[in-house]
Amino acid sequence: MPTALPHYAFARGAIAVIPLSLACAPWGLLAGSMAIDAHFSPLEAQGLSAIVFAGAAQLVAIGMVKSGASLVSILLTTLLLTSQHLLYGMHLRPTLSAFKPRWRMSLGFLMTDEFFALVSQYDRETFNRWYALGVGLTFYIAWNLFTLAGIVLGKSIPGLEHLGLEFSIAATFIALITPVVRDVPTVVCVAVALLCSVGLSFLQWESAVVVSGVLGMSAGFACKRLGVGQA
Amino acid sequence: MIFVMIVAMGLIVFLNRYLFIEPRLPVRLTRGAREFLGFAVPGMLTAICGPIIFFADHQLNLSPANPYLLAGICAVALMFWTRNVLLTVLLSMALFYLFRWWL
Repeated sequence: MPTALPHYAFARGAIAVIPLSLACAPWGLLAGSMAIDAHFSPLEAQGLSAIVFAGAAQLVAIGMVKSGASLVSILLTTLLLTSQHLLYGMHLRPTLSAFKPRWRMSLGFLMTDEFFALVSQYDRETFNRWYALGVGLTFYIAWNLFTLAGIVLGKSIPGLEHLGLEFSIAATFIALITPVVRDVPTVVCVAVALLCSVGLSFLQWESAVVVSGVLGMSAGFACKRLGVGQA
Repeated sequence: MIFVMIVAMGLIVFLNRYLFIEPRLPVRLTRGAREFLGFAVPGMLTAICGPIIFFADHQLNLSPANPYLLAGICAVALMFWTRNVLLTVLLSMALFYLFRWWL
């Protein structure tokens, strides 16, 4: 892969992220139409997707603006909702920190759950920055186009969130997780993360995702350290 | 006012994303840390999937007739069988809508 031509690697990344980009269409549309509904100007609504580029945080922030929340509480919620990126950064540190600032900043800005899902499997030798840029940039453009469509369509998209399109995100992530689950510690990691994410979401924790992810990772790590499942 | 919020949110999210890929940040990942981070893919991606599968429409749904759950289990089986991400996603999506229409 490192020898692959830039435009070829870029295209491969762009193609790899198409299913995930389409899966996010409902949220992109919602991020646009909800912002208009909450009396954002079209420019502000688009700016949210162009500058923040974090679906969950955007939708929650729009909801909070609508209900009159304070700026501080919105920013704190944003911090909690997007803290999983700290982990992604740590995981990608060996590969990304070696790049020039220009590449680091660009790929850092484009780092999303979807980006991490597709890019994290490569180590320093097999990582291709053009592939990563193809993934990140395509997803960014798709997200902003869907937001634009949401802004233009405004409130005229009834029941979009009830179409069940988010299942495609779960399906993609399941397809990416399944081949990784090869030993007992990873099974424990997945089981703990799943149980905690359901439990903490039930308790309506804002940081349910990152807390349950870290708990799952810790459980898997502990099992590995204790030598569970090793003959 | 809204733009102040947008820029501040953008900064917070970017800091979260960028912090650990800055080489000048004095962090050296030990072997233990790297082993821990090796669980990031199954751990974090599962934590994102959990609420999607069990909290469709913001309602806890633990019923075995939950189409998200059934199609999710099918996705695991399909991935084992086909080893192809795109095929697994497409087929399990089709099954999801089938279950939803049927159950």
